Amino acid sequence: MREVRQRSKGMNKSSLWFRWRFHLSGLLILIPIVLTPSYIELMSIFGGANGLGERTVGSRQVGPWTITLAEQFEAGPILDGPAGYMKTFNAALCQECAEDVKAVYIRLGKPRNLRTAGVIGFGSPYHMSFTMPVAENTSTEQLVWLTLEGWDGALHQTQWTLEEASPATVQFLKQLQE
Amino acid sequence: MKLRHFQTLLAVLMAVFSQTSFAHFPFLECTNEASNIVCIGGFSDGSSAQGITVDLISYDEEIIASKTFNDRSSVEFQQLGREFYILLDAGPGHTVEVDWDQIKTP
Repeated sequence: MREVRQRSKGMNKSSLWFRWRFHLSGLLILIPIVLTPSYIELMSIFGGANGLGERTVGSRQVGPWTITLAEQFEAGPILDGPAGYMKTFNAALCQECAEDVKAVYIRLGKPRNLRTAGVIGFGSPYHMSFTMPVAENTSTEQLVWLTLEGWDGALHQTQWTLEEASPATVQFLKQLQE
Repeated sequence: MKLRHFQTLLAVLMAVFSQTSFAHFPFLECTNEASNIVCIGGFSDGSSAQGITVDLISYDEEIIASKTFNDRSSVEFQQLGREFYILLDAGPGHTVEVDWDQIKTP
């Protein structure tokens, strides 16, 4: 019995796994090497080092202020549990007006009032981020409304068609509603 | 407590509570039930809307009823014979609207 145990112990030690298991741990080094380029790319999008977003929609004069809108990713909305599909845009205020604007809101469809102006932008005035809900039955003809609220209480609005703001979202909605 | 145990505990706590640092978005679902409209609110990370204001507002912007979500994250309104919308208001930029014609019928 003892002989059998010793033999099996000896066999284990000479097995391929036993001899190479340490070297397999070296493969772990490959994981960050493979993922680092996409991580750096992602961080540059989130931080703004690579521009406002993956796709710049354009700049608009809104009252006395100018705002630039961009899609964070050139892709359709992402499902976020019971809140439904969400689409992220980024925006930047002009240097001269950054201190005059208190808040920027975005939504699909015309807001009824300031209380329903939509999702508020957060972050630096030069790189605000908005994650906007996109209902499944949203018309592809819908407008994306931006409402800018000044510290003096002034409200100014502008809008893009959804097709201009995010062709990927229009494509996504068409597929969803088929 | 040894330093190593403390570090392990810290790592576990950080892993458990990292969920709270994720973005979360409000939602509102309303259903017609008998003579009432029952709305359930909450956030996409599973947190409750208890105590958050929810208003029933007519299309001419008159606030008909203003309530807060109860401990089951729900609220009830009486039916209104005209067009209205229900607004969950968790603060500026954190709102959800449900129009009268979007209210589900069981």
